[in-house]
Amino acid sequence: MKSLVCRGVSKVWQSSHGLETEALRRIDLTIASGEFVAILGPSGSGKSTLLELIAGLEERTTGQVLLDGVAVTEPIPNVVMVFQEHSLFPWLTVADNVAFGLKMKGVPAAERAARVKAVLDRVRLTKFAKHYPHQLSGGMKQRVALARALVESPDLILMDEPFAALDFQTRVLMQRFLLDVWQEFKATIVFVTHHIDEAVLLADRVLVMSASPGRIIDEVTVDLPRPRSATTPGFNEYRVRLTEQLEKQVSSIDEAA
Amino acid sequence: MTPPVNTAVEAGSAPLPEAPPPRLSSSGGGRWRGLAATVAISILPWIVAVALWELAWSQKWMTTSLFPPPSVFLAYVIENDFRVGFARDAMPIPVAIVASAYRVLAGLALGFVGAIATGILISLSRTASLIIFPFVRGLAPIAPIAWIPLGIVLFGIGNGTAVFVVFTGIYFILTINTVVAVQAVDKRMIKTARSFGASPRQIWAWVIFPAVLPQVFTMLRLNFFAAWMAVLAAEMVGLKNGLGMIIMLGREMFNPNLILVGLLMVGITGYLVDAFLVFVQRRVLWWQSENVK
Repeated sequence: MKSLVCRGVSKVWQSSHGLETEALRRIDLTIASGEFVAILGPSGSGKSTLLELIAGLEERTTGQVLLDGVAVTEPIPNVVMVFQEHSLFPWLTVADNVAFGLKMKGVPAAERAARVKAVLDRVRLTKFAKHYPHQLSGGMKQRVALARALVESPDLILMDEPFAALDFQTRVLMQRFLLDVWQEFKATIVFVTHHIDEAVLLADRVLVMSASPGRIIDEVTVDLPRPRSATTPGFNEYRVRLTEQLEKQVSSIDEAA
Repeated sequence: MTPPVNTAVEAGSAPLPEAPPPRLSSSGGGRWRGLAATVAISILPWIVAVALWELAWSQKWMTTSLFPPPSVFLAYVIENDFRVGFARDAMPIPVAIVASAYRVLAGLALGFVGAIATGILISLSRTASLIIFPFVRGLAPIAPIAWIPLGIVLFGIGNGTAVFVVFTGIYFILTINTVVAVQAVDKRMIKTARSFGASPRQIWAWVIFPAVLPQVFTMLRLNFFAAWMAVLAAEMVGLKNGLGMIIMLGREMFNPNLILVGLLMVGITGYLVDAFLVFVQRRVLWWQSENVK
């Protein structure tokens, strides 16, 4: 993948009663290959909707989503999505969950097994290949979800608040793990979160979204050396700037309500 | 790649037993003692009830001879070589049990498979939904027992009627349940499958079907008792064998021993079939708990 471009993307939800809800308004963004971009916004800002439009899972109302210049209208093989939770199939073992996409695409069993084994080794879950999701902790489940994405050798990984349900410790470990994987696989990552520290910690660039309708109201390039932590000098300035932006959004929602 | 991260992830995660689910693990003596205590406690009320019953019989507290206790009716069964009925028509009790259990299981299996297929068809096609669904909803409230006369007219006196009665008793309800379960499948699971390149047909086969299976099976189990009763009723009013027939035979022959043996067998067989359904639910279709929120 070379680039992901959204041009004037809008999304209006139409309820069965004819009510219209504007979820996204004229989103323009450009993401380069290998970039780690966080999309930060309050709930109801249409972050997840934007991700699903990029993934080709929903139809946009206006505008264009272009991947290497080609319009995205349906899910494409080299773009994968990682959801927060409940997206592992409980009736499949860890190995079968990871193999799911390959199986759907008709990859031969032997190749499937080899690729699954390699990626399970990478996420340190080889021992748990035959386990079922309900036998795993939250962090392990999230590693399975990540493995399921990585096994596709994706160019672009779309992550929808993947660590939101994890406790603090597991979340920190998963964040580090994700960065390792990102550098190793050289994938492009678009990471949706409502967590300011997470965005600053992970991303090259943070796009801030407003609440309904979702618009991109700020773009911050995080110019901090990696590996970062909340104590990295300069971290706090980014945090303050983004917090101000989000607080403004929250107040505007409050006034509207 | 930093190994410490991963060991720490391991350590940070909830402790996880090497052996798969806790229910499969056994920890030796303590577990068996616990099991023995559980069994003892659940058997106790039965022992007390039977003892009182036997006492009442031996002390002649009951003026009637129409309510013999187990020592009497079980002795009767043994004397008769576990056969009931008149010399030539006599039927071994195990045959009666198998006949009843076969009818109910065959009807349940047909109803389950048919309902899942119909439910998925209704969910797939708007036309099918418009044509079939009102029909299903109209027939669902009819109790299994109410189908008996129609079954006898259509299939005569025989297995066909019993299977028909069980089938109609559960098929319509389970079809509605399948439609509801399909609608309740977690949308994120479907989106995940789509993002991994699954076609609509693959999503039905690999996501929706396994997701609804345990839920519909739970409903099957809940409706099993109604189906079981319907089989017994069908046997009472017409079929030539089965446990229901033993009870009716007892009535016609003024033989309370037979009635009580019949009741006992109905209870035990029903319990065993239900235990089998629970087994399937827990061991084969165990992922329900993950799905239902």
